[in-house]
Amino acid sequence: MSKDNRANILRVEHLTMQFGGVVAVNDLNMEINEGEIVALIGPNGAGKTTAFNCVTGVYEPTNGQVSFKGLPIARSHPSGKMRKLYAGTAADQYVNGTVRLSPDRVTKLGIARTFQNIRLFKGMSVFDNVLLATHLRRTSNVLTATFRLNLREERRNRARAMELLRIVGLDDVVNEMATSLPYGKQRRLEIARALATEPTLLLLDEPAAGMNPQETDELSAFIRQIKDQFKLTVFVIEHHMNLVMDISDRIYVIDFGKLIAEGTPAEIQANPAVIEAYLGGGEE
Amino acid sequence: MFNQLLPYLLAGVSVGGQYALIAVGYTMVYGILRLINFAHGDVFTAAGFFMVYLMASMPLGVAAPLVILLTVALGFTLERVAYKPLRQAPRMSVMISAIGASYLLQNLMWYVTGGLAKQYPVLPLLSDSVQIGAASTKVVTLVTPVLTVLLVVALQLLIKHTKIGMAMRAVSVDFETSQLMGIKINSVISTTFIIGSALAAVGSMLYFTNYSTVTPTVGAMPGLKAFVAAVFGGIGSIPGAVIGAFIIGICENLIKAAGYTAFSDAFTFALLILVLLFRPTGLFGEKTAEKV
Amino acid sequence: MKRMSNTRKIVSVAVVFLIYFLAWFAEARLGTNSMLITVLKKGAVYALIAASMNLLNGFTGLFSLGQAGFMLVGAYVYAVFTIPLKRHAAVYQYYNGGIIQFELPMLVALLLAGIVAALLAALVGLPVLRLKSDYLAIATLGFAEIIRAIVQWDTLGPITNGSNLLKTYPTFKDAKIFGSTVLFPFLVSGVCIVVILLLINSTYGRAFKAIRDDEIAAEAMGVNLFRTKELAFVISCFFAGIGGALLAMFQGTVQANSFKSSMTYDILLMVVIGGMGSISGSVVASFLYIACSEWWLRFLDNELVIGTFHVPLLRSGFRMVVFSAVIMVVVLFFRKGLMGDKELWNLQLNRERRLRR
Repeated sequence: MSKDNRANILRVEHLTMQFGGVVAVNDLNMEINEGEIVALIGPNGAGKTTAFNCVTGVYEPTNGQVSFKGLPIARSHPSGKMRKLYAGTAADQYVNGTVRLSPDRVTKLGIARTFQNIRLFKGMSVFDNVLLATHLRRTSNVLTATFRLNLREERRNRARAMELLRIVGLDDVVNEMATSLPYGKQRRLEIARALATEPTLLLLDEPAAGMNPQETDELSAFIRQIKDQFKLTVFVIEHHMNLVMDISDRIYVIDFGKLIAEGTPAEIQANPAVIEAYLGGGEE
Repeated sequence: MFNQLLPYLLAGVSVGGQYALIAVGYTMVYGILRLINFAHGDVFTAAGFFMVYLMASMPLGVAAPLVILLTVALGFTLERVAYKPLRQAPRMSVMISAIGASYLLQNLMWYVTGGLAKQYPVLPLLSDSVQIGAASTKVVTLVTPVLTVLLVVALQLLIKHTKIGMAMRAVSVDFETSQLMGIKINSVISTTFIIGSALAAVGSMLYFTNYSTVTPTVGAMPGLKAFVAAVFGGIGSIPGAVIGAFIIGICENLIKAAGYTAFSDAFTFALLILVLLFRPTGLFGEKTAEKV
Repeated sequence: MKRMSNTRKIVSVAVVFLIYFLAWFAEARLGTNSMLITVLKKGAVYALIAASMNLLNGFTGLFSLGQAGFMLVGAYVYAVFTIPLKRHAAVYQYYNGGIIQFELPMLVALLLAGIVAALLAALVGLPVLRLKSDYLAIATLGFAEIIRAIVQWDTLGPITNGSNLLKTYPTFKDAKIFGSTVLFPFLVSGVCIVVILLLINSTYGRAFKAIRDDEIAAEAMGVNLFRTKELAFVISCFFAGIGGALLAMFQGTVQANSFKSSMTYDILLMVVIGGMGSISGSVVASFLYIACSEWWLRFLDNELVIGTFHVPLLRSGFRMVVFSAVIMVVVLFFRKGLMGDKELWNLQLNRERRLRR
């Protein structure tokens, strides 16, 4: 953890997400610094994807704050009865100034994501899936775009989309329908699409799900490669321990929504609480 | 003042009851299939025509049950032909099929009747006049709300206490799981259409006794209004649909009383839009969230 | 990436010119009042309206049933502002000649029809576009009914003529090009459809399709859901407004009462038959739909006796029964319609590609 010299890029403070009586994420605190690869791990149903959804603006958290490069992107506090739960604790500081950015604005700030259960645009070609993701950086308006007065921008975006597809190794299937690709390629397409939004922070939700060991190894190398090439910070949720231990600078472990450990891969592997959560729970 | 409003209030309660009987069909189908059955209003119209043709040759005692039977058969067939083949299709396709079915029914009725408005038969007893306070009205006005409430209570009992009722509730909560649990989805859906059509048939007898002529497209508007009532009450909820229907029936007639007859239809839709905006789940609906 | 090659572009343009020429030639030979020309004109009008609806329902995935309402607005704006001043006294006979004391040139009024419909759509869209699938459908349907009621409101009579007819405004007969009435609707409709096509193939069109395919993913890729939906809605209604104005020109008279939800259903069925997500499909289907319902199936409505044999079933109304039954067959068994989500000019291309593989 000797990376204090790096600038903080994502800070999650006292993040809590409740669905009715279920506390999916409970008072989660974490930090990600520029240029790091950080993993969030935990048994199934531990609240990892929920945490992702709070960061990207899909869910409005019950309590807590998420800030990106020092700027709050989500900040909320419960009203009514539930407020009492937080009175007097450190988590009670978000009473004023609720912030809620919608997912598209979060993406515009520079956070891109992939989805655990692949969400590609089914009716669009591989190429258009990536090209769509350049839409948010457009300088054209609907008239200039319709009447083709943005040719230079359009050409640049097309070239960029093609370049990204080449990087993820899909340049031979650009005209296929996105959903006709095999599973592993769909995952890579999702990454290319996320990269096309020009992010500084990339969130990967179980990128290795459904991959065999060889593909997983390739994925490790690939994540490192794009991290360097695009100067990214990577935040990844994963079950494959090999992958996590291989690529992560630091790891956060949650169980039942609560943070139970954090540290370097070596520290995590030696942590009794983590072993208990994984083996004791009988999951995984 | 009250004496002036009384006829409108009576008409409102009466037409509200008739909407309620149609609305139950909408809300039950929506609860189970998540489908706006656009053709339901046309099934209601068809019931009107059945009565017209049957009463020409037989007494009411035979005609009325036959009308209900024929309407039920129509509703059942509609489901089998227009909706069942599309169980796995996207929701938009099923809605389009519903619109197509409505179109087909309307054209069929036009063809059979020659497009002329048919005089609805005078039903003994229901069409008689009665005097209430200063207002004179038909017996049907008084019978409708009572009959509606009785039928809906009976329906609620059926849903709460019988096996098929339990199956219906299960299917409306979770279509797929109940299928896995061995519930015969198709028979549950058919039952729903049968009940909905039967109530629409009863509703049509009451409605057309008041309005006296039947044309092929006459059911479209009451159909849409009944749907609005179902949304207003919280779609999927039977008591909600009934209360919604009474509120709409009464409001609509009060607007007529205020002299804005042209806006009585528009009002219903304005109400719909307000409900959707401020309380999309309606008065008694349940919340559902989308999973990411 | 469906970019057309240059030869393909040239062929497409040539085909369009040929069609326009044939339409003109047909009118010159058969006369303005022939069935073919009537069907062509009405078909062209509906082609635009169906394309505008497809933009919304097929490309953006917004199931809207408000088209008739916005057509009504377009038709009324056009008619109200183009009725010649000297005819006002006759048209607005119950409203002292109306209060609008000027008239606009035809093309200006046509454009205004689209703009007013678009502005109204912007307002209507604010609340209703937050609704999902069938709720959106029923809310837009409701708005169309509200618009119809308001237009017929007696208090607005000095402008809208209440529930009475609007007439004597310029029609296609007053918009002759090379002595032909069929070219004007073809040109206006054609230009609008080309604009719709350009839009669909632009970056905004991709955003529309992304919303149709997966709202959550689209939002995660930086597409502002509400603004993009509002944009699609406004543009679709702009063209529906122009389509409504063209329909007014075709009919020669306008009355709010004819813009019922059944009109929207007709258009929806054209879109479905042509294929949700295919503009050329919508165009072809509109012409087919109009030709079948107005012309080719007419014989079904007439009783027919061959020798002593009285052909059964044939009588007034049978045409529409057969027609709607055919539509049901398409809806149930050919859900992709004529074209699916392909365009005419891409069909050949796909076959070539398949062969090459």
